[in-house]
Amino acid sequence: MKGKKILAVAVVAVLVIAMALAYSAYSEKATAGMKHVTIEVVMADETSSVYTVDTDGEYLIDAMNAADGLTFEGEEGPYGFAVNTVNGITANLEYGGAYWAFYIGEEYCNYGVSEQPINDGDEFRIVYTLAQ
Amino acid sequence: MKQSKATAFDIALVALMVAVIEVFKFAMMGLPNIELTSFWLILFSKNFGKKVYFVVPVFVLLEGIIFGFNLWWISYLYVWPFLVFVTRILKKNDSAIIWASMSAVFGLCFGALCAIPYMFTGTDLQSGLTLAFNWWIAGIPWDIAHCAGNFVLMLLLYKPLSEVMTRLQKHGKI
Repeated sequence: MKGKKILAVAVVAVLVIAMALAYSAYSEKATAGMKHVTIEVVMADETSSVYTVDTDGEYLIDAMNAADGLTFEGEEGPYGFAVNTVNGITANLEYGGAYWAFYIGEEYCNYGVSEQPINDGDEFRIVYTLAQ
Repeated sequence: MKQSKATAFDIALVALMVAVIEVFKFAMMGLPNIELTSFWLILFSKNFGKKVYFVVPVFVLLEGIIFGFNLWWISYLYVWPFLVFVTRILKKNDSAIIWASMSAVFGLCFGALCAIPYMFTGTDLQSGLTLAFNWWIAGIPWDIAHCAGNFVLMLLLYKPLSEVMTRLQKHGKI
């Protein structure tokens, strides 16, 4: 029985190490240097505003902070900084059944704004989205 | 042919199990990927046998009603039944460390299991696989937190709560 217990814990340890290595090898990385990115904000009525940003920041939140005219609010949560208000419009999943969805190109951002790396030429969209 | 019918007591017990899972889920929502849903489903599966087969669908349906029937919900249709299935296979085990390890591996695999529906959201198979892979990779830190939380919670809570359930069963309370 003792052998089985040791084996079980060893399996967990090996899997954790393997996954940490996979994350290290394949996760998106922030890059240093100046980047030119665009951020498009799409409101509930589908009107949009486009912001072009030149920044040496590494994450989306840095580009959002550098975007002239773009305002946003949010709070630190268990999964990082969560944006709830963009350009004065609040999207609340609990009370309004809506949220701000973040896209890079056509794909949904896999990371929160404070962990989403930016690269030169990236095109982000922040879209007011009704929950289904 | 003998047919077993669900009694009012069985229905109440299933409702109580779902309520316990939901209460702890909401209470622990502020903690990143630290949850007791896995713990309770393992414990209920082990101690209440086939009654848990009714707990999972009710729980999954309730999650959809509360949080919306989005892509993540599709994964709930097979992730939690899978946990119950594995628990039923290992039900004779009574080692807290073995259960903690099993729960930890489930936590580690959670992201990979939930990534499966993303494979079907791409424009073709290749882009779907890329989407699912990138989604899984991005969530690995949360899977590791899930793994650690599941391991520690099971290690701490398995023996005391298992003993309480065994005692109640011996006295015919449940």
